Amino acid sequence: MLLTLASDAPAGAAPWWVMLIPALAMLGVVLCTLFAIMGVKSKLPAYATVGCLGLACALAFAMLLGYEDASGVVKAWQWFDISWGEGHGQTFSAIFGFYIDRLTILWMLFVTSLGTLIGLYASEYMSHDQGPGYCRFFMAFNLFVFSMSCLVMGANMLMLYLGWEGVGLCSYLLIGYFYKKPSAVAAGKKAFIVNRIGDLGLALGVYLTFVHFGTIEYAELFAGDKLQGYLSDVAHGHFEHIPMTAQMIPLLLTVGAIGKSAQLPLYVWLPDAMEGPTPVSALIHAATMVTAGVYLIARAYPLFQVSQFALPAVAWIGALTAFLAATIGMAQFDIKRIMAYSTVSQLGYMFAGLGVMTSIGAAAHVFTHAFFKALLFLCCGAVMHGFAGQLDLRKLSGLAKMKGWGIVSITMLIGCLNLVGFPVITSGYWSKDIILAEAFVRPSTGLVGWLLLITAGLTAYYTFRVFFRVFVGPVEYHPGEELHAHDDHAHGHAHDHGHGNVPAHGHAPNDAHDEAHGHFHPHAPGWAINTVLLILAILTFVAIPLVALSHGGWVGEMVHGSTAHFEAAHAEGGSHGSVWLAGLDPHKVMYYISGVVGVLGIVVAWALHYRGRREAAHAPAADAFKQAIGAVQRWAEHKWYVDELYDFLFRNPLWVLSQVFRYVDMLLVDGLVNTAGWLPSALGGRLRRGQHGLLQGYAGSMAGGLALFVVVVLLLVSKSA
Amino acid sequence: MTERLAYLWPELSLFVATCVVMVLGLSPSRETRRLCAWVSAIGLLVAAGLAANAPIDSEALLPHLMPFAKLLIALVGLVLLMLLAGTVDRDYEAEIASGRAVFNALRSNRAEFYSFFLFSLTGLMLTASAESLIWLFLALELTSLPTYVMVTISTRGTQSQEAGVKYFFLGALGAAFFLYGFALIYGGTGATHFADIAGIIATEGMNPILTLGMILGLIGVSFKIAAVPMHFYTPDVYQGAAASVSAMLAFVPKTAGFLAIIVLCALMGWRYGPGGESLPEAVRMLLWISAALTMTVGNTLALRQRSVKRLLAYSSIAHSGYMLVGVVAGPGSDPARFTTNGIAAVLFYLLCYGFMNVGAFAVLAALRRPDGTEADDIDDIRGLCHTQPLLGWSMVLCALSLLGMPPLLGFIGKFGLFTSAISAGEIVLVVILGLNSAVAAAYYLRLVVTPYLERPPERDAMGVQRVAIPSRPIVAVVSACSVVVLVLAAQFLVTRSAIAGRVLEARPPASADARP
Amino acid sequence: MLELAQGAFPEPLAGVTLAHYLVLSGAMFTLGLVGFITRRNLIIMFLCTELMFQAAGLALIAFSRYHLNLDGQTFVIFVLTVAAAEAALALALVVLLFRRRESLSSEDWSDLKG
Repeated sequence: MLLTLASDAPAGAAPWWVMLIPALAMLGVVLCTLFAIMGVKSKLPAYATVGCLGLACALAFAMLLGYEDASGVVKAWQWFDISWGEGHGQTFSAIFGFYIDRLTILWMLFVTSLGTLIGLYASEYMSHDQGPGYCRFFMAFNLFVFSMSCLVMGANMLMLYLGWEGVGLCSYLLIGYFYKKPSAVAAGKKAFIVNRIGDLGLALGVYLTFVHFGTIEYAELFAGDKLQGYLSDVAHGHFEHIPMTAQMIPLLLTVGAIGKSAQLPLYVWLPDAMEGPTPVSALIHAATMVTAGVYLIARAYPLFQVSQFALPAVAWIGALTAFLAATIGMAQFDIKRIMAYSTVSQLGYMFAGLGVMTSIGAAAHVFTHAFFKALLFLCCGAVMHGFAGQLDLRKLSGLAKMKGWGIVSITMLIGCLNLVGFPVITSGYWSKDIILAEAFVRPSTGLVGWLLLITAGLTAYYTFRVFFRVFVGPVEYHPGEELHAHDDHAHGHAHDHGHGNVPAHGHAPNDAHDEAHGHFHPHAPGWAINTVLLILAILTFVAIPLVALSHGGWVGEMVHGSTAHFEAAHAEGGSHGSVWLAGLDPHKVMYYISGVVGVLGIVVAWALHYRGRREAAHAPAADAFKQAIGAVQRWAEHKWYVDELYDFLFRNPLWVLSQVFRYVDMLLVDGLVNTAGWLPSALGGRLRRGQHGLLQGYAGSMAGGLALFVVVVLLLVSKSA
Repeated sequence: MTERLAYLWPELSLFVATCVVMVLGLSPSRETRRLCAWVSAIGLLVAAGLAANAPIDSEALLPHLMPFAKLLIALVGLVLLMLLAGTVDRDYEAEIASGRAVFNALRSNRAEFYSFFLFSLTGLMLTASAESLIWLFLALELTSLPTYVMVTISTRGTQSQEAGVKYFFLGALGAAFFLYGFALIYGGTGATHFADIAGIIATEGMNPILTLGMILGLIGVSFKIAAVPMHFYTPDVYQGAAASVSAMLAFVPKTAGFLAIIVLCALMGWRYGPGGESLPEAVRMLLWISAALTMTVGNTLALRQRSVKRLLAYSSIAHSGYMLVGVVAGPGSDPARFTTNGIAAVLFYLLCYGFMNVGAFAVLAALRRPDGTEADDIDDIRGLCHTQPLLGWSMVLCALSLLGMPPLLGFIGKFGLFTSAISAGEIVLVVILGLNSAVAAAYYLRLVVTPYLERPPERDAMGVQRVAIPSRPIVAVVSACSVVVLVLAAQFLVTRSAIAGRVLEARPPASADARP
Repeated sequence: MLELAQGAFPEPLAGVTLAHYLVLSGAMFTLGLVGFITRRNLIIMFLCTELMFQAAGLALIAFSRYHLNLDGQTFVIFVLTVAAAEAALALALVVLLFRRRESLSSEDWSDLKG
């Protein structure tokens, strides 16, 4: 019955033009490739990208307006239709098409709009690299948007997998963009390898879905009798009726999700991924790609419902990740890295949200986080761009007082407030709140709620630590090591400061450059960067009414109209009764508590990092505090030695194993030991004597072979006849 | 007769292009000579367009094979053309441009090179449309003869000449074998038209002369596909020729050979005999043994190679063995279903092999050592992903696809061969195919590991560089991309192959008598 | 089937059956093959392949007469054409090789191997 559906489109058809969204991104790839071949050295690739993605964004809005209520499938072509028998599960069919429901639209809205904005930003940010590198960057950028739209809009799990691998590839390519830098190459490799572990889980999950449900098309899968039967079992509390295979599927999908969304224990690649250009960090490693794991779980929410363990596991993973990443973020000095840890931490919130059955909260947080985190990264990028790659918060101070840095400072403040969840006026506050409240509603996950609440305080602290150190306080800066030709261009308007308090380059690490270039002058961001920052800052406010009303407002509605809404049927019913928090409804009381915690964190940061600070490198209060906690601080600074632990637990044994394999392989290929490889190799060695290079010999062998064939065949035939 | 011409428009367009190219290449004007490649490309594009719209010859044994094969040939031909551009006369043209030499039509090879390439493709298309033994023989010779010249003139070194002489003499020997086979087929049936031969075999069955003729014919033709026992020339010729020409050798004669083998088998019918199960026992046995030996010989010999071209030559032998499995399996009970139709699997595999193999050779062709020779040793591609990322990754992708790694095109190709052989009940052959795939992993993974995981050799002085022919890296990248991208169109291609691989059952004697 | 052939041949050759032709043709083919394998001179080797081609031609003509249709003879005309083309190619190749190494021994061309 599921199989008969395979050929025709299920319930409702999406309009054909939604296919233009990935097609436009693909057009961008093709154009940038052509530009690369033609050797274009202008900003043309950037404008082509912004144009293509802008149109795609417009289409995404059209999708929202004209297509709000229907969910449907649009098929480009039949991708696979392979059968190896007539029975159930012996036909594998998948379309190359798109499944549109409100969840898809929600995701596509911020993917395309951020893609456009960040493309515009990158046009300026990458301008020092105009030429082949510029084309390469935008090619990968467009390819990313294409893959992401396949991932989000795909009509089946195979499309999702295709997009999943595609975004992984783009991420790898863009992290390693500065491929001459060994650390960038290493980071790219790390991301690639860690993601493989997750991808293996996803691939197995998809495979098991096909084996168990006989289809991987969303439309058939979610409407299928089998899954619906399970769901009604679950609604009656009969988990024991559900086969183990079905319960395994969500766990495997979770493995995929934690790889892509950088959760425990696979989060280690994301902070290193900051080696890539900042626009990439903002788009891929903060706003969109890393939310693919959240999307996967939200999309496959019905599959998660049928497992007893999957969602609690997701909740715990999320909460622990959020907490751990926040503690690490507190002790870092590289502002981009701090933002990376905060991304990991916020993704943890989203996972926890999914785990405690508020897919609305998770989606709302994805939505708001996409804008404010992109904003924060782009601010960091502007700083990095202006100060020759300097990102150490001990070497920058008082940016807000410098000329030309006003917009960056203000938008940074807005971003920070959002990340903290400053009460009422920020969208981050409203979305985080839904998750926090729901975490306390569920009695089984009460501890998760506490972890998340503590994390909210830590988040406020480390976020404003950055703000108080870098953007306010005494003016002081030391340029980084990436001095490039832009120095002259920035000469004019940066000239009047720098002699303010401290010699600007007193401890500059790169004296040779200083001698060559004279004084270093930071150059403030130009119109493209400022415009994008302002738009994003405005968008974070626009998002407030979209998430702030009861049950997640507009975003809540969007989620309700999708596969992720299943929770409503099972979750909301009884649990409201079991009120916690001193007899008050956590939904209400959490508004106050989380607000207070956030403000508290900001105050602590102010006390430690702003009050009494006279220079960039040292804040007396914070240093004293550091002394006091001693080892804990050191451990956090070293990221709790997780990388080293992984080295010890996995990499070293694997290295030993790989050496063993290499040894075996060496011997195997050389045919020296009696292994399975010996025979073919030895046979090859024997046969090789036949390849002696003599014309006559070859002719003789051919004739002999011919004769032998004829004789053998005739003998065999006459024997069998 | 003129209405039969409608089927030959692609060949005719190629032939016209050939003649034009032959004249243009001898022009004293440098600009005119440069037109050769463009005219060839236009000829191929026109041929592709004509082939896509070709009428279906419902009389033919394999009515849908012709348009599919011709379109495939024209498209891969275009890619090959881009790869072959700049193979000959580069130094000479540079001398002329710098004024150190004057143009001498006798010294220039450009006209021959392009027109012979087009001739070879014309022959290949004619093989696809052959409807009699004479036609098939002429088409096969037209495919092969130009390639002998192309191998010989592809570089100025003695290695190319050695490759040329081996290829030519052994090729002539192979041609003599299948010519004698064709003579015996004629002797056994008294007809040269395929329709007549098929009708006679369907009514009267095989006789000893005919069987011997078929065996000789199939073994002779297996020279073109480099199958055991006619494979000996392959590594020497591929290594000696320029990489671009080797890429052509791995596709053009191989396709011709498979088309000829499919036609010869179709004459007897895959439902031959009282049970209607498979080819005549002797022929099936022959192909079976040949398939098993070819894969094994190719893969085991490739294991210890250090020359990448030689390695790819042995891999080419092995792939012929894989494809022979599809021929043994035959079109199956339901030819419309790709998974049981071995002929469709072979046709689809030719397409896959065309792209992934051209890609691998294109990477070699796009690199040159500091001394100007072509990259060939495995050390030349060490760390290529770091020094020449695009070429390095192209090599990695093509090697993974040749290995049959799951998401890539080669996997889908091999999948079809496996399933069709299983459904035909050739379990032993499937086991041999599986074992061989495992053995092949050992050397293909070297092509993956060497560029990707190993460090490039000490700085630039030693390393290989990209040649100044821009079309070659493009071919490498395009082929590598198509290995990924064509997977998206898998269903379309698979369906097309299944249609093309549909074989008409041998017709009743009535129609055999229709032609006097 | 072979003995049926007798009647098909004209009077002066009454004693000659198809089998005779085929034996002759087979002998030519084998001689050519043996010559190809044993001789080292490239020109002789090429002539040996010509001998094999002509053996096939002879068989074709005999079969043509036997079946009383012209297909086989038509075939032979084309075989001769192809043989001529191959001869042209072979001679060009041989000249080229001789210029390079001053020798026509096939053994001098065995650098490529393994």
